[in-house]
Amino acid sequence: MKIDEFNNAIKSKITGAYELKEDSDSYGNSNAWVILENKRDVEVVAKAIKAYKGRCVVATAYKNEKENTHTVVYHFDINGTIVNMQLVTDNQSVHSITPILKSADWAEREMREMYDIEVLGHPCSDRLFLDYSLVKGVLNEYISLSKMQTGLSDTDVLWSKINKGAES
Amino acid sequence: MSEKITIGPFNPELEESVYFKLVVDENRVVEEVELINGFIHRGMESLATKKNFMQNLILTERVCSLCSNNHPFTYSLAVEKIAGVEVPLRGEALRVIADEVKRVASDLFNLSMLTHLAHRHDLMKETLEIREYMQDLKETIWGNRMDMSVNILTGTKYNLNDEKVTFILKTLNEAEPRIKALQKAYQNDAVFKDKTVGVGILPYEDALEIGVTGPVARGSGVNNDVRVKAPYSLYALRPSLQPKVTTYEEGDVYARAMVRFGDIIEAIRIIRDVVADLPEGDTYLEKRPHIPAGEAVVRTEAPRGELIYYLKTDGSQKPVRMRWKVPTYSNWEALKVMIKGDKVDNVTMILNSIDPCISCTER
Repeated sequence: MKIDEFNNAIKSKITGAYELKEDSDSYGNSNAWVILENKRDVEVVAKAIKAYKGRCVVATAYKNEKENTHTVVYHFDINGTIVNMQLVTDNQSVHSITPILKSADWAEREMREMYDIEVLGHPCSDRLFLDYSLVKGVLNEYISLSKMQTGLSDTDVLWSKINKGAES
Repeated sequence: MSEKITIGPFNPELEESVYFKLVVDENRVVEEVELINGFIHRGMESLATKKNFMQNLILTERVCSLCSNNHPFTYSLAVEKIAGVEVPLRGEALRVIADEVKRVASDLFNLSMLTHLAHRHDLMKETLEIREYMQDLKETIWGNRMDMSVNILTGTKYNLNDEKVTFILKTLNEAEPRIKALQKAYQNDAVFKDKTVGVGILPYEDALEIGVTGPVARGSGVNNDVRVKAPYSLYALRPSLQPKVTTYEEGDVYARAMVRFGDIIEAIRIIRDVVADLPEGDTYLEKRPHIPAGEAVVRTEAPRGELIYYLKTDGSQKPVRMRWKVPTYSNWEALKVMIKGDKVDNVTMILNSIDPCISCTER
C-alpha cells in the first residue's frame, strides 16, 4: 500500500487539520505518521485501516510536559506497512476505535489503566492487568494456567472444578 | 527481628499466573470464557526508561526466555534506526543465525507440549530429544541454553570461526532428517490427529479481525510473517533468505502444529544458507553510536509471531518511552474464539496450541 493512496482515503473525511509524514528504515520499510489535531478523527483513520483489511498492532501513550495531556500513538499494520496515528489528549480522554477495530481492544484497555486516559465508548470496562477489585475467594472460581496446561484433557479434574464452582 | 509479610490474596508461586473461568452447558461444551491476568506485570516498560541504552539490552533479554533473543534484537533495531546506524553485514548475518536457532528450539518445545497433552509420550520424548540439538548448539556457540546475549548496539558480540560453522552444519545435518521423520510421525499418528484435527478452530475472518500473528495466524490462512511482509536485517538484504511461509486454511490445533513444523524446516534452511555465505568483516561498529532525539517503530518475527517495539528518545542516555507488544497479547483474545463452542476436554490442548507466553505479555 502506498502512503499517498492511504492519504486519499482519509483526506476528504477528516474534519480537523492533520499532518502526514513518512519515514523509512535502512532496509526500505516505510512508516507513515498521521498526526491528528481533532481527536474525533481517530474514527476516520480507523475506518480507513479497516477498509484496507488492516489491524491495530498496539498503542502507546506517554505523558507530556504540559500538565494533564498525553500523546497517544496507535500503530496499525496494512499488509506490512506500519501506519502510526498520533494525537494529543486534552481532557484525559480519547474516543475508542475498538468498535471499529477489535484488534485495538487490549491496547486501549491497557492505556486506560496505565495512564488513566478515559477511552470513550470502549465496549469493555474491565481492568486488563491491574485489577484492584479482586474479591476474596475469586481463585475458587478461576482455574490456574498450570492446571489448564498440565494434561487434564482426558481426566475429569477440569470438569470437577467447573462443577464445584457451579454448586457453590 | 522477624517480620510477617503478607503476600496476596493471590500467591503466584511457581505457576504461570493467568486464571480462567469457563461456563459450560450440560454437554460439557464451553459457552463462555473469561480470563484474568496481570499477576506478573512487572512494570518493565517503566523500568526501561530508568536504564540507559546499553543497560536496556540486558533488560529486554529478560522479558521472556523462549524468545529472549528477539527482544534485544528488535530493541537494537529501534535504537539503530534513530541513531542512523548501519550494522556491518556480518553482524546482520550473525543476528539471523541466532534468531533462527531460537525459533527451532521454541517451536519444538511447543510441539512437545502438544504431544504431552495428547498422551503421546514417545513423540514428546523424541521432540525434546531433537530440541537438544538446538540447546547444545546454543550452549556451544553462545555459552548459554536460553539467554544468548547475542546483540549489542550496532551488531553482535559473538563471532563464528570455521570450527563453529562446521559444528553448526554437523548439528543441522543430524537434526534435519529426524525433524522431517518426526513431522511424518505427527501426521500419521491417529491419537495426535484425533485430539488436534478440527479442534480449537480460529476462522480466517476472526484471525484477521483480532489481529493475530505468527503460527496462530498462518494456521488460519493469514500470512503476516514480518520476515516476508516487512523484511529487516539480512532478510531484507538477501531476499532469498525470506522463508517460504507455511499456511493452512483449517485454523485448528493441527494446522498450528504443522505451521510450526514448516517454520522449523525453513529456519534450518535459512541458517544453512547464511553460514554457507557468511560475509567477512566486523560484527559491530567500534564507535559507540550517538542516540539523538527521535522515535522509531520496528518489528521482527519472533517464534510466536510479530514483535513490535516503539522507542522515543530525547537525546539523553535513556529512553523517554519504550513500548513493545508480543504475539500472545493478541492471541489471548483469539483463544476465546477457539475455546467457545468446543468441549472442555479439548481446552488444555487449545490453550497450548497458541504457545502462550505470560511474562512477555504482561511485562
